Amino acid sequence: MVRHRIPVTLEEALEHLNETTYKIIAGGTDLMVQNRAWSELPPKFDAPLLFCFNLEALKYVKEENAFIKIGSMTDLETLLHHPLTPEILRKVIYEMASPAIRKVSTLSGNIGNASPAADSLLALYALDAKVEIKSQKETRLSTVSELILGPRKTALKQNEIITEIIIPKSSFTQTCFVKVGGRRADAISKVAFVGCASVENNVIKDIRMTINAVAARLIRRQDIEKGLCEKTPDEVKQNVNAILEAYSTSIQPIDDQRSNKDYRKYTANNLIKAFLNTL
Amino acid sequence: MSTINKSVPKVEAKDKISGKMKYVSDYHVEGLHYAKTVRSTIAKGVIQSIELPPLPEGVTIVDYQDIPGKNVVKMIYEDWPVFAEKNISHYGEPIMLVVGPSKEMVQAVFDKIKITYQEETPIFDMVQSKVDYHFTKGDPQTAFQEAKKTIKYTYETGYQEQAYIEPQGFIGTLEDEKVTLIGSIQAPYYVKNAVIDTLSCKPEDVRIIQATVGGAFGGKEEFPSLIGCQLAVALKKVKKPIKLIYEREEDMEVTTKRHPSKITMEAAIDEENNITAIKSHVGIDGGAFLGLSSVVLSRAMIAATSAYTINHLQVDGDVYITNTVPNGAFRGFGAPQMIFAVEMFINHLAKDLNEDVHDFRLRHLAKQGDKTTTSGTFRDPILMPEMIKKACQISGYHKKKALYESSEKMKGIGMSWFLHGCGFTGSGEADHIKAKVKLRKDEADHVYLEIAAVDMGQGAKTTLMKVAAEVLELPLEAIHFANPDTDIVPDSGPTVASRTAMVVGGLVARAAQEINENWQSGKPQIVHKSYKQPDYMEWDQATFNGDAYPAYSWGVNVVEVSVDPASLEVRVEHIWSVYDVGKSLDDNIVIGQADGGTAQGVAYGYLEVMNHRNGKLLQKNMTDYVIPTAVDMAKTETVLFDNPFAYGPYGAKGAGELTLVGGAPAVAIAIEMAINKRVSKIPATPEYLMELMNND
Amino acid sequence: MTKITFTFNGKPIELHTDPSRRFLDVIRNDLKHTGPKEGCGEGECGACAVLINGHIVNSCILPLANVHHQEVMTIEGFSKTKRYAVIEEAFIKEGAVQCGICIPGMIIAVESLLNRNPNPSDEEIRVGLSGNLCRCTGYNMIVKAVLRAKEMGKGLW
Ligand SMILES: Cc1cc2nc3c(=O)[nH]c(=O)nc-3n(C[C@H](O)[C@H](O)[C@H](O)COP(=O)(O)OP(=O)(O)OC[C@H]3O[C@@H](n4cnc5c(N)ncnc54)[C@H](O)[C@@H]3O)c2cc1C
Ligand code: FES
Ligand code: FES
Repeated sequence: MVRHRIPVTLEEALEHLNETTYKIIAGGTDLMVQNRAWSELPPKFDAPLLFCFNLEALKYVKEENAFIKIGSMTDLETLLHHPLTPEILRKVIYEMASPAIRKVSTLSGNIGNASPAADSLLALYALDAKVEIKSQKETRLSTVSELILGPRKTALKQNEIITEIIIPKSSFTQTCFVKVGGRRADAISKVAFVGCASVENNVIKDIRMTINAVAARLIRRQDIEKGLCEKTPDEVKQNVNAILEAYSTSIQPIDDQRSNKDYRKYTANNLIKAFLNTL
Repeated sequence: MSTINKSVPKVEAKDKISGKMKYVSDYHVEGLHYAKTVRSTIAKGVIQSIELPPLPEGVTIVDYQDIPGKNVVKMIYEDWPVFAEKNISHYGEPIMLVVGPSKEMVQAVFDKIKITYQEETPIFDMVQSKVDYHFTKGDPQTAFQEAKKTIKYTYETGYQEQAYIEPQGFIGTLEDEKVTLIGSIQAPYYVKNAVIDTLSCKPEDVRIIQATVGGAFGGKEEFPSLIGCQLAVALKKVKKPIKLIYEREEDMEVTTKRHPSKITMEAAIDEENNITAIKSHVGIDGGAFLGLSSVVLSRAMIAATSAYTINHLQVDGDVYITNTVPNGAFRGFGAPQMIFAVEMFINHLAKDLNEDVHDFRLRHLAKQGDKTTTSGTFRDPILMPEMIKKACQISGYHKKKALYESSEKMKGIGMSWFLHGCGFTGSGEADHIKAKVKLRKDEADHVYLEIAAVDMGQGAKTTLMKVAAEVLELPLEAIHFANPDTDIVPDSGPTVASRTAMVVGGLVARAAQEINENWQSGKPQIVHKSYKQPDYMEWDQATFNGDAYPAYSWGVNVVEVSVDPASLEVRVEHIWSVYDVGKSLDDNIVIGQADGGTAQGVAYGYLEVMNHRNGKLLQKNMTDYVIPTAVDMAKTETVLFDNPFAYGPYGAKGAGELTLVGGAPAVAIAIEMAINKRVSKIPATPEYLMELMNND
Repeated sequence: MTKITFTFNGKPIELHTDPSRRFLDVIRNDLKHTGPKEGCGEGECGACAVLINGHIVNSCILPLANVHHQEVMTIEGFSKTKRYAVIEEAFIKEGAVQCGICIPGMIIAVESLLNRNPNPSDEEIRVGLSGNLCRCTGYNMIVKAVLRAKEMGKGLW
């Protein structure tokens, strides 16, 4: 018989994780849907659950040196309204799910679920976010992008929990988020795009672009981004086709119940182009 | 003139807002058992073996062998089994119920049932016709021979799911021999009659009670008969109260939807660029069983020229059987498909002929005294010219059209004109439905409407009570209308086909009149009334000749959109509507119908996508089957025209379906303008628009 | 079995049950409150919405454990408040109720929205209610009802 746990402190949670195999559950907005049973019956989990959403120690947003640090159980609705939340992340969260879902969902859940269509990851990848990961014996850091191995697969070990999301403070002269879903609110992305750039004296100093739902993992091509830096916006605009060509090896979408691969590719290209044209 | 249209608070609103109102899943009785449906996992084939686990005490399997009467759900044709016997015709076809005292026990047995099949090649294309209809008006042959030219196009429409927010379900009890079913239904007597046949029992041994319905839109017209029959069979065997409520996915995967269609239209054009004749072929995908598909087909065909008069017509149609979920009733009932095709066609013809679309349409618009598609007569005044003017004025149509057509910005404005036949087709009311109502007055001079009409949110309770109150000159508080219970109410017919206000309301008014005339204060009185067809109605069902409907409601929709240049997503900016529903029995209620119906109609045109792969629906939950949120829906403005109909109560005609049928073409025409391409398929999704943009 | 405690419509509740159960089932079956409805069971429609610490949450995908030590209010509890009376009147006046199955959840969403923003614009109302699907009304009258409620209830939020 499974025995679920509701730890009160992080230490207790880590202790449980060390004892045996637990499934961490934060807001549960992914897990409860994925494991739902016939209504009125308990969800079908094959491991005992470790309920972490109400761990007060992991609910915070703070500024430390050059970083914004977000406790992993902070809900998205809180982040949406928090003054320290980076602008582009706020834009993304504004278009995620609905107020009711945001109140009980987390960044660490969006990371842990590792969906190719996850939205917050667009901002986290673009912002070079890292996560702090703890087990009873060890604390380590990983970039979000390295943590995610593929659809529903992360590099988290059985006894580890994400405790904090660490976002380097950055400033851009422009940011852009476009989400293309089946409808205008409360939709899962068919494809979505984040672009951040800093243009100073007509020279691109920094540029980052991320795209979801067009490959097994989110796309961010730092090699291409590097090539665009120190160029003028006009040079980049003239080169759009070559840039799209460079991205095309990464943009490998599939057909599913929400859209098809041709449309995803078409739109991803258009979104990249549209962003570059605003530089 | 009557002021009955003045809005009053809806009678049941308080209970609904405060959460007190009970819907079927809120009922509980002692000793309740639960049922779950075991379904086929193939689209076509034969069951080879069924392996059941040992059944724990209290758990029962119910299948076709337990049916005392006919293994068929009584509808028009006898092809829809209550439980599959050997042959499987679609994915998700019900094979048996597992019933037990707890969901845990039922689920445990359910998980261990093993069924093997001999699979056969399923048919998914529209090739196997099971019903075909044909009719002509005038002399299409000659008109085509004499035509200056002919133009032909084909239009396609997809599935639409009713997506009522409350899934289907019943709770049933058995007392001695009597089965009582409480359910979320639109047609209590459909369920009752179906159950009588399945149980092969006496009518008094079946009692159907309507629970408050959490949305229906046609989805709870015929399908509940299937669930009701299954549950009744289970009750007889298990002899315990049983609840059978669908989960959302189950509901979406196995209940009836709007028929996908393929409609070909060919026009004969004369020297003056007028349409002299049209030949159309209407093909609809019935799914695995016919159900009501033949009626849907006939209603689509009768709408073959929508709001226009064309003197020579040849209309052919087929219901094709495929190995997919059966399709069925959905608000509009064949008209949305046909009206989409007609409106796109007339638009495309005008473009091909270099005619101004607006002029071209006006030249063909139906007038009072014209012959209908079925050679009946439009007897009543048609206010469309004024309604169209009004719609143009409130929407700024002409100015915007000129602007958007000449601009590079991807914006568009589209207009649709349409009608909807009110009530059952032809002599259906008189020959098949034979609606009856009963009004009862008690000693306290309170009057009870004992009728089978169902309020599924469309306001039937409030409007019919208002009709009675107005006739009787009583306050609304003295009128009562409980959810129908077939042990109490006579068969007033199903709550479908925009017939309730006009037909049942008409009967209520007549009955109330009679009570009024014989009013005896403090004395109980009972009055019965039955439907009488207007004398002028003549209809030949075999040839589709005569007056298909006693009356028509009319409408104009204008939809403004913008299309995102990068993603080709459509944004509906504004919707304007003008309707003639005879006389509104309550403005808020009619405008509420208009808002909701137009939303469904517009979303049908651009947003709602449902497809199947190998007979399995791909969009089977609320995440993947996308219906509009508040953000997707634009502001709507609605204007009602008064045009009282002599036979409707206070002049009322039908309003429920009319408001849906013109949404799709209006949005599709707007999208055409925005992208400067021709749309011939709905939903006009961004994926489809991309194809159009790429096809240069 | 785990001990879970929370406040439910103002009353303390203690339950000993499986903490992974859907809170909606606990509300409807254990606590016998049927105001919250199940429309989809996957967080999409909002029919099951309740207030947790004054904010809308969909109870159909909320594990009971996450309610531990929180304050819960369902439509039954909320319907006893002044704010509710204002929202109810506005919904009735505007004719915003049809089949009604979405309405208890919608009312919860309105309360939660006005809690966050007592003076929302038309667009903000639509965004605020975007997690509550209504198939009957096309939302027009619901939006009008919220505009009316915020005027009628000035100072209450
Ligand atoms: C109606 C609805 C709409 C949605 N809309 C969107 C949308 O627009 N965009 C979008 O991206 N997503 C959307 N989602 C998905 C979901 O809400 C998000 O992925 C959310 O961020 C998940 O957070 P959670 O806390 O609920 O995760 P949970 O379900 O609790 O967990 C998800 C996964 O992460 C793991 N996990 C959680 N926390 C930790 C941790 N601290 N350490 C290690 N592992 C952890 C869990 O073990 C699990 O595998 C939607 C979901 C629903 C139901
Ligand atoms: S039932 Fe909970 S959101 Fe639909
Ligand atoms: S009133 Fe029926 S779903 Fe909203």
